[in-house]
Amino acid sequence: MVIDHAWRGLGPGLESLSGPGGAPLTRTVKLIVLPLIVRPTLHPELAVDFLGPEQAEQLDALIRESGARLQATAQWFTLLKRTRRALGIVAGNPQDLYFQRCFELAAEHGAPSADTDSVAGALARAVVEDVADADGGRTVDALKRYLADPAQQALLDRELSTLWTGRQSAPASDTAAAAVALATEVLEAYGGAEGPRNASSYVDMVAAGHGDLLGRVLWAHASGVWGRDDLPAHLGLTERELPPRPQVGRGASTATLPAPLDRTLFERLFVVLQSSARREELPTVPELVGREVGRSCAPLGLYDESLRVAVVLGGRLAVGLDPLGTGDSAPGRTAAHRAINSRWRREASVLRARRMTVSPRPDPDGGVLGALAQDLRTPWAAYMRRLWVRLHGRDVRDAPLPDAASAWAVLDGVARSVMMDHRARVRSALRTLSAAPAVPEAAESRSA
Amino acid sequence: MAPGPMDAHVGRGDDGTIRIAAGPAASHDFTRAVLEVAGAVLAWNVLGAPGPPVAEIHDAARAQQWLWAVYGERTAATVHACAAGELAEVRVPADMTALASSAVRLGFGHWAARWWPASHLDGIPALEPDVIGLELAALTHECQQLFDAEGDQPDDCVAELIEEHQLALDQLIQWWHATPPSTDTARRLESVLRSVDDAADTAGLDGQALRRLRSSLDRPRPDGTPVDPASLFVRDRDYALAAGEPLVAGGRVIARGSGTNDWRRYPPGFVDASETAVSWTARALGARRQIEVEVVAHLAAPATGAPLLVAEVEVDGGHLSRVPLARRDDLWSGRADLELPDAGRTQPRIEIGVLLPGFDPGPGPEAGADRDAIRALVRRRLATAAQPFAHNTSPYEGTSGPFLAELTASTTDEDY
Repeated sequence: MVIDHAWRGLGPGLESLSGPGGAPLTRTVKLIVLPLIVRPTLHPELAVDFLGPEQAEQLDALIRESGARLQATAQWFTLLKRTRRALGIVAGNPQDLYFQRCFELAAEHGAPSADTDSVAGALARAVVEDVADADGGRTVDALKRYLADPAQQALLDRELSTLWTGRQSAPASDTAAAAVALATEVLEAYGGAEGPRNASSYVDMVAAGHGDLLGRVLWAHASGVWGRDDLPAHLGLTERELPPRPQVGRGASTATLPAPLDRTLFERLFVVLQSSARREELPTVPELVGREVGRSCAPLGLYDESLRVAVVLGGRLAVGLDPLGTGDSAPGRTAAHRAINSRWRREASVLRARRMTVSPRPDPDGGVLGALAQDLRTPWAAYMRRLWVRLHGRDVRDAPLPDAASAWAVLDGVARSVMMDHRARVRSALRTLSAAPAVPEAAESRSA
Repeated sequence: MAPGPMDAHVGRGDDGTIRIAAGPAASHDFTRAVLEVAGAVLAWNVLGAPGPPVAEIHDAARAQQWLWAVYGERTAATVHACAAGELAEVRVPADMTALASSAVRLGFGHWAARWWPASHLDGIPALEPDVIGLELAALTHECQQLFDAEGDQPDDCVAELIEEHQLALDQLIQWWHATPPSTDTARRLESVLRSVDDAADTAGLDGQALRRLRSSLDRPRPDGTPVDPASLFVRDRDYALAAGEPLVAGGRVIARGSGTNDWRRYPPGFVDASETAVSWTARALGARRQIEVEVVAHLAAPATGAPLLVAEVEVDGGHLSRVPLARRDDLWSGRADLELPDAGRTQPRIEIGVLLPGFDPGPGPEAGADRDAIRALVRRRLATAAQPFAHNTSPYEGTSGPFLAELTASTTDEDY
């Protein structure tokens, strides 16, 4: 509110950074005002939800001081958007891509001159092109070229073979029971927005290598990990009984990606290169491939132990999820389960109000929607698949989860993504049903 | 609107959710408008008086971004205290802020896009999906303060709405040019178009329709010849009730009646929303007993050869059986053999409902009165939309002002 007030006090010239009502855009606050002007690390007294009068004044002053620079930022943003359109670039959200660059340009050059053929125009062009090319060759195409060489393929295949044969699986699945019990403790200690009440069990799990242990158990045992006989040990991370030896692979398609541990090297890296916002921070393609060989033969297909422990936590969480609100009191639901299941109830209520339901009971005539409901009856598969992809992305970027709070943020974010996925699928299924074509040709031309 | 402040209760539930209850909750799924915003779900009873929403806040820190702008500073502070464990009552100003009004309108628009009771039988025209979609895009942009970039708010979907519905941009521009500039309709059209353009620019969208929009907004407005807005959105809807043409010839009619048309059990755009849309006939053909179900289709219902909907049949409170319904012209119809008690003795009690398998959440409580109330509500709105605005009040400022899609719908009466 203080930000809003100070912002409006800056007067005109900020339109491109503001919403229709004159308030700053959400991303203006998130990407410019907070990190670059307020800077809570320098001003910890401003990093609270509710400011006292003195802090409010301080914040107000900080924003006012930046008024001229913000107006210049706004002009740069308008110019960059125009340049981007002229160059025919549509990928990515321009606010995410350019806001911080515009703020830098404003500091260095002030406002851009009105004449776009001038220095400002050239600068804008350089920034837009620089942002667009920032991947530094870390592309799916580069990966494809790198793996197309038959000699390279054969070499990688031999390496995979050697590493896979050298794995050591864990002796018996009951050794996983200790890991699962500790995971229960960590999830019970979940304390909502105030953060975990007791973080030590998580650190203990990482130190004791419980994620490594689960990975080795999965190599040798198909069931008996999660305390229920009907649940496979891998929770859908593979379609097989046990994870197969990874292949090198030469192609991939988003629509037909297999379960995570059944993916080829190509498919695993394809996902990373497809989805990364900041590809320039990734290792180069040869490095990526070299490390993926070892990673894919490591327990759970991950190097970092904290990320493997997150798989244990995620699995323990996933087996107690109740998206359909059947309410059957599965034993061992923790505080974390209650939080996520309560969010599923909220989601279900919103979906009913938006007329986007799926039948809670199995229906043999249910068609596509029935299949989506079925997925909700085995929620761990979608959850684990999403979780693994996210953890793998972190592993590739050397971004471990140092404490219980950061692990929880990932577990929670995955739960949200699974919900968003479900809703998107229901929407798309309903759209397809509503557009059922009168003549079959229409359907064929769509898929062509 | 209502003068003076009103009471709102702020309380914290067992699961930590903080609730701002500013009015009565909706009784049925189809009377509830909802909006998912940063850290909370906002809800309104569409049958209630216009007013601030009920908020279910699950992340109070994120919600602080908009709480003050929707409910005022005091309420924001109360929620903050409540998140820290204090319970409190707070008075919420009934005068809604600009953001609250836009939020109400956006919530209602999403509701209308899903539950609008379009019916040929009742004479309630459908809303043009692309027109309401673009207006929702404009409203979402105007409500940008409600959303953050955390990616868990499906209603923060300006880009998707514009991409899905941009085909109607050209018609809206044409309508705008053809509308006298001094009218509220012209102002509303221009405001929606400018919002869509600004939203597209902010989100980095581009395309032929959007470029035409930009250049038409940059140019001075030409004076177009007046057009009937409905004629701009004519779709191929050859609609004529097939009179007669019975599905089953012969047999002795032993009972007939109407079924329940529970909107919750099938998606929008499948079935005519009238209470009288579902009917059935039971016949005796020798020793066989057969039931035939006919359901009047929605104007835009998918044309499909294969059965899609089913009728759920219950005889004398016994077990449920299903009759698959296939689309034939403007009817979904089907028939099946039935186990009926001997027709000579008692009249069987037959209950019929129509549903889409896989979608149906199950039968709900009796809700006929609320469905009637919804029909009355949309009739009032369409009547308002059909009136020319000679007076200088600003009907679009409030939450009850017509949507553009209602304006086009209200001029399609002659088609019925």
